[in-house]
Amino acid sequence: MDFEMGVEVEALRRELRDLVAHHVPSDYLGAFTDDPADLEMAQGFCRLLADRGLLCPAWPGEWGGRDASPWEQAAVREEMWAHHEPRGAQYMGVNWVGPTIMRHGTREQQGLHLPPIARGEVIWCQGFSEPNAGSDLASLQTMARRDGDGWRVSGQKIWTSYATMAQWCFLLARTSREERKQQGLTIFLLPMAAAGIDVRPIATMIGPHHLNEVFFDGVWVTDADVLGAVGDGWRVVQEVLSFERVGIARYARCERLLIWAPAALGAEWDDLPEDLHGRWARMVMHARRARLLAYRVVDLQSRGQVRPGDAAAYRIAVTRLDQESAQVLMDIIGFAALGEGEGLRFRRAVEDHWRYSISATVASGSIEMQRILLARALMAAS
Amino acid sequence: MNIELSDEAEEYGRQARRALGSAGGDRLAQQAEADPHARGALVDPVFEALGAWELDPRAGSEELEAGAALCRSAGWWALAYPVAERLCRPRDLDVDGLVVIGPGPPAAPVGGLRMAWAAVSLDGWRAVCAASPLRGPVRKSGYVVGLEVGSFERGGQGDVALGLVLPCWTLLGMLDRAMSLTRAHIAAREQFGQPLAAFQGVQFQLTDAEVERLGFEALATHALWSIEAGRADAVDDALALRLAAIEAADTVFRVCHQLHGAIGFCDETTLSWVSRASVPLRRLPLNLAGTGAALTRRLGRRGLSGLFGPNDEPSPTLPALRPERR
Repeated sequence: MDFEMGVEVEALRRELRDLVAHHVPSDYLGAFTDDPADLEMAQGFCRLLADRGLLCPAWPGEWGGRDASPWEQAAVREEMWAHHEPRGAQYMGVNWVGPTIMRHGTREQQGLHLPPIARGEVIWCQGFSEPNAGSDLASLQTMARRDGDGWRVSGQKIWTSYATMAQWCFLLARTSREERKQQGLTIFLLPMAAAGIDVRPIATMIGPHHLNEVFFDGVWVTDADVLGAVGDGWRVVQEVLSFERVGIARYARCERLLIWAPAALGAEWDDLPEDLHGRWARMVMHARRARLLAYRVVDLQSRGQVRPGDAAAYRIAVTRLDQESAQVLMDIIGFAALGEGEGLRFRRAVEDHWRYSISATVASGSIEMQRILLARALMAAS
Repeated sequence: MNIELSDEAEEYGRQARRALGSAGGDRLAQQAEADPHARGALVDPVFEALGAWELDPRAGSEELEAGAALCRSAGWWALAYPVAERLCRPRDLDVDGLVVIGPGPPAAPVGGLRMAWAAVSLDGWRAVCAASPLRGPVRKSGYVVGLEVGSFERGGQGDVALGLVLPCWTLLGMLDRAMSLTRAHIAAREQFGQPLAAFQGVQFQLTDAEVERLGFEALATHALWSIEAGRADAVDDALALRLAAIEAADTVFRVCHQLHGAIGFCDETTLSWVSRASVPLRRLPLNLAGTGAALTRRLGRRGLSGLFGPNDEPSPTLPALRPERR
């Protein structure tokens, strides 16, 4: 056995940390704050990564990547999420929009969309969820009706991250009503600048500029904007979800904050209640546990295998870690002054982590769906 | 990265499980309970045939991983025999096995066997010891007896991690079995006209238990590698594993009993035997609270190794854990 990632991955990790240290402000907490400088920083950082082939390392060299191994991809996910995702909204284009276009797009679509994603110059949003179609996505009602040699899209999407700043939308809409609700769905690559689109931000406790409603009122798209075959959208969406098999490396941020805590508190660390030291140690163990569960999925991926139950188990463990570690860290900062310098940066990072952790079991698909998947896999194996 | 046991170790574990199954399987635990002093004789021929006691987990990764796989298979059958403890035998002492002891009165599930034992404390003090005679019914004691410990000497630092990790592999085998039995039960048992497995409330409990079992398995493999690689923080890793193991066992057995209903407490179900057999492993050498406290003490301000740790901090001053001679 060997739990070391190897010299190549460690070199990549050092390169990423070096870039973060030199280009990401030490008080950076994500691209989507009230300060526009954070978004600007993220966009600049993406270009920096792109110049080094690090923005989409998993992509083939032909499209601006470097054919990175699943372990190198894991290291990129870990380092970016641990440092509050300095790629901003780019992960969506890089992780699954690009790969899906590579697989199902026409040469024209590939030529139009892939180079800007690889250069970090474009932001995508995902038009999936609707007010009455969340976990039950196939129940969506947004319609695209034939109109001459194109389509007219009407309907409403919700919980659409980055819609206020996105140039393109990866939209799933109904193009016909069939016997099964999974049939008659089609993917459109829709320009957000098109007439008839109204984006309304949703105020949330998580933070600004994240979630939006998007209304489509007879938005015109052409056949050239259809990805794959008309009516074949559900199959494409299943593939999209498979690109997100491991999901966000939430454990990396949890571990960074937990390990940072003693240094941030300095002498005050020793004055914490004994019970809190114990809860901290337990969370450190749970962060490792979640990381090792993620590595099981990556290990399978590296051998071309998929076990949906393992991916679901990881998602359940890591979201629980996200929320429980946030609670422990909030309790820790409650006992310390942390009014300036490193202490203040730590306090703000913990508060940000806590706010985001609330959504961990909902974002990217509810945890109940993961439990259903895992139960299904378990019983099928019986 | 190579995060799984070797194919050879896995195959050895499968062979061991088959051999123990052929020798009686679940009946072995029942026969041992009926005649506790014969529990060694029941399984000796199987272990001889498997060459179990020729394995030296300290000799290298192959034998260490084979030993772990053997422990897991013994756990599957809730075998009433200290396989892990025997595999931990230090080669420099004239003993049959080794147990880790906590700060409380030394005890281990080694009663009813005519064997000499070594005991090692968490901070590496080691002594030769003798097991006290069995007292009372073993269905209550779980073969746990007090240890009469001789003089402690330094020199057991290399035994602690191994002595903590291999019994966890036995416990892991028990969790494998409990989950397997429960899946079969909820698939077969019908209520309100459908199998229990069709109820989402049942499914979600099952997934809670499975996530715990999988996490435990992942840490068990990592802690084994930490020993293999001779890492300085192997004891930290072993304690982290033990904490996860006890948490997982608590959840898995709670869920498995709940989903079995009253029948799960009855000796006619295998779950009852596996659940009881797990108790000594969960309580000794340290229970959940004791393991958490020991891990917390060791981690101090450093944390575990990982993406960002450990911190560059000196090891905390540990309170004296050296047990007194009893």
